Amino acid sequence: MTFEALKQMKRMKANLRGSASLILLLGTLAIFLLANVLSPYGPNEIGVGDHFAPPSGAHLFGTDNLGRDLLSRILFGGRITVLIALGATSIALILGSAWGILAGIRGGWIDEFLMRTADALMAVPLILFALFCISALGSSVASLILVAGILLSPSTARMARSAVKAELASPYVVSAVASGFSKVRLVWNEVMVNIAPQLLVQISINAASAVMLEATLSFVGFGLQPPNASLGTLILQGYAQIYNSIWFVLFPVITVMMTILVFNNYGEQLRLSLDSKRSSS
Amino acid sequence: MSDVLRVENLTVTVPSFEGAVAAVNDISFTIPTGTKVALVGESGSGKSLTAFSIMRLVDHPVKIQTGNIWLGNREISSLTDKEFRTIRGAEIAMIYQDPMSTLNPIMRVGRQIIESIQLYSNVSTKAAKIRALELLNDVGILEPEKSLNSYPFEMSGGMLQRSVIAMALSGSPKLLIADEATTALDVTTQARVLDLIDKLAVERNLSVLLITHDLGVAAQFADEVMVMYDGRIVEKGSVRQIFTRPMHPYTRALLDSRCDDTVDYSQPIKSIPGQPPRPALRDDKCSFASRCSFVQENCLSSTPTLIKYGDTSAACFHSEKIISTSEVF
Amino acid sequence: MRNFILRRAASSAIVLVLSVVTVFLSIRILPGDPVLLKYGAQTGATPAALDALRESAGLNHPMLVQLMIWLGGVVRGDFGTSFISQLPVSELVGQRIPATLELTFFIVIIASILSVLLVLIAIRKPGSATDRFIGYVTSIGFSTPSFIIGIILVYIFALRWHILPSQGFKPMDLGVVQNMKLMILPAFTGAMVVSPYLIKYLRTSILETRVSSYVRTAKGKGLSSSAVLFRHILPNSIVPTLTMLGMIVGFALGGVFVIEYMFAVPGIGSLAIESASARDYSVLQGVSVVVIAFFIITTFVFDLVCGFVDPRQRVLQVKSR
Repeated sequence: MTFEALKQMKRMKANLRGSASLILLLGTLAIFLLANVLSPYGPNEIGVGDHFAPPSGAHLFGTDNLGRDLLSRILFGGRITVLIALGATSIALILGSAWGILAGIRGGWIDEFLMRTADALMAVPLILFALFCISALGSSVASLILVAGILLSPSTARMARSAVKAELASPYVVSAVASGFSKVRLVWNEVMVNIAPQLLVQISINAASAVMLEATLSFVGFGLQPPNASLGTLILQGYAQIYNSIWFVLFPVITVMMTILVFNNYGEQLRLSLDSKRSSS
Repeated sequence: MSDVLRVENLTVTVPSFEGAVAAVNDISFTIPTGTKVALVGESGSGKSLTAFSIMRLVDHPVKIQTGNIWLGNREISSLTDKEFRTIRGAEIAMIYQDPMSTLNPIMRVGRQIIESIQLYSNVSTKAAKIRALELLNDVGILEPEKSLNSYPFEMSGGMLQRSVIAMALSGSPKLLIADEATTALDVTTQARVLDLIDKLAVERNLSVLLITHDLGVAAQFADEVMVMYDGRIVEKGSVRQIFTRPMHPYTRALLDSRCDDTVDYSQPIKSIPGQPPRPALRDDKCSFASRCSFVQENCLSSTPTLIKYGDTSAACFHSEKIISTSEVF
Repeated sequence: MRNFILRRAASSAIVLVLSVVTVFLSIRILPGDPVLLKYGAQTGATPAALDALRESAGLNHPMLVQLMIWLGGVVRGDFGTSFISQLPVSELVGQRIPATLELTFFIVIIASILSVLLVLIAIRKPGSATDRFIGYVTSIGFSTPSFIIGIILVYIFALRWHILPSQGFKPMDLGVVQNMKLMILPAFTGAMVVSPYLIKYLRTSILETRVSSYVRTAKGKGLSSSAVLFRHILPNSIVPTLTMLGMIVGFALGGVFVIEYMFAVPGIGSLAIESASARDYSVLQGVSVVVIAFFIITTFVFDLVCGFVDPRQRVLQVKSR
């Protein structure tokens, strides 16, 4: 096989992998967001089956301690988790990019100050910060979104700032600025487009982190209160009942892992394709 | 007295767009004992690869297809990798182009030299240190203690290359291969390092294979010269012969195109027309034919092999004509 | 060398102070009145009484003043008093530090050994099935929250095979073997949280170092491949990894919270969770300071080690801002 053909195959494989990860991602999102269409029972319907029933035809994932259909609970729980993740990611994106771009454009001591603040925030373990925020604000979907969003923004800010700085140093910008274009307009029109792919990578990674954070918080009791349940709370409940039924904890665990994996995978594929584009251009 | 190195039918392939091609294409040569041989050629001619192949420093996907190599009386090409390791560095040593990147940046220079010394002989670290200082002295470093304790980034290119030479000589090798060893140095340092290698070669009856693209360096330094083009040796002979009576059109063209004080500047510089050859497009013809000013019909129908003319060899069908028509350089 | 240390120390100190202040301010900014929460439901909880309590707890001063008072106390070693138990925070936190330190220590050791082994196996033939398999497992590791890893390990080793306890802690002085037995699962859980990062980074680092010129020189000297690996490739690969290792200890701290909670290890992580549930901000602040300081000091130490191993770091003033 010739070298050229090998390269072609590699490219095709990479494209396939990229498309596959995107499809998986969209598919996962779709499944959860369409929870009320897809789920066979209501998430809080008690007694539709025996307690702790193993998976069967009627209940694909079995039932929980109150006889609720686990599949339905997972679907709805996943929907909440995904909504929280998406909300948090959006906040992190907007807040983080504004933060980073501002620092990148202005430079000087504004830059220093903004970035030191970001560093300081990143030096605090996520969980710790989340813990007292949630304990103060109470645990609701909104507070989880807000807290996760704010906590994820410093890393987005750093990334946005270095991307903007890199772009601002590139010839097309330097010459534009020299010809009198305003920096801000440039960033808005041209630079944003160029850093968009990197921001997209950051979004996927953030989403994965948000899901992880939410699940962890829920597991230590700072998640949603019953009967509402996100995936994390389901795991908590399942773990408590692990002697009674392995399924109760198994399925939510698998679901959470897959969800995070799907987000991370997409981000990874994006990053790989970005890197290869940069090195081969 | 046997030759220190004899290479026969060495072919090395590398992957390319069109499949595996022979970047070193069936070359054979010998290096007599106590001789300094220069291997000259342009980038891509296969000269560095030849050196690496002799040292077995090539890795997949580059492959040594064929080749028999003798070190003195010993056939080394059939040794196992483990056996070969005892030769590498100890009997054949190699130095490379940029000393700053070819030394471990986080290890002191002294320690790297001592590592070599202890590899080739069973001595204590203390004894090795003394030997290292001796070697550094031999290569002309004025404050050997200081260099011993320095890191590569703390030393200048010239001093580093001298240290590298010291390290290479620690095993008392019979052959030193220098791959573009002076290319990364400035001209004055270059001259000094070459002088040093020369001196050491004489002192220790060391043979040197100097790989370079710089004709001036070859002329100044070597006893014998081999010219490589498109993976083949197209001419070899004594340095005097090559530079005064070249027998291959390529060598001639190279000498014609030089810019020094003997050139007539009222004429345009005689560069070699055409492009360097693409190995994948090799055919049964002379690969220099498309750029050659002596080309005839038979050059395009079969590949010339090295033909001996006394002490020189040239891979050309028409060397006699070239000799008769050329001026003495 | 001394300048290097001083410079690093200074910037660490700044970040430390900033983080701590941020923590304090965030706590104060957030709604939620601890006094109300604790005493509000009791009889006699008139607004006046509650206010008096607040006054005595120093909560009525303006925020900056509170900050100053608290910082002043911190410098003297006085972290305030727990709202709930009225015990000095420093005592509460101090009691718990040893367990966390022990756990973190084991996590780092296990993670380092595990990662180096796996990477060495993987790079024997890069791109081979083994390498890719390890890559997949690492990917999954990245995507698995610490508590899930904990659940899996507990299930296998405690519930299915009954060879290890699923919870608990015994301090060293009451029996080393018991202590170790109880440490195994939490330590391995933590190690598996952290290893994917180490593996990925180290692997890339080694692959890059492998093809550098000086490695070729080392081979050219006639060194055996293991000598080349251990004396030239690994040390140069570890240098960038060390910085990451420092950060990883920081990650570990985040995961340690949940792991301590899950395995009932009485460390500062579980203390944080407990006090957060009880809205005991005083304790939370104390814990935060300790945790942040720990992270920053660790990063600082790793920076120093980096400078020790790689002499270029000491000289180059590269600020990656």
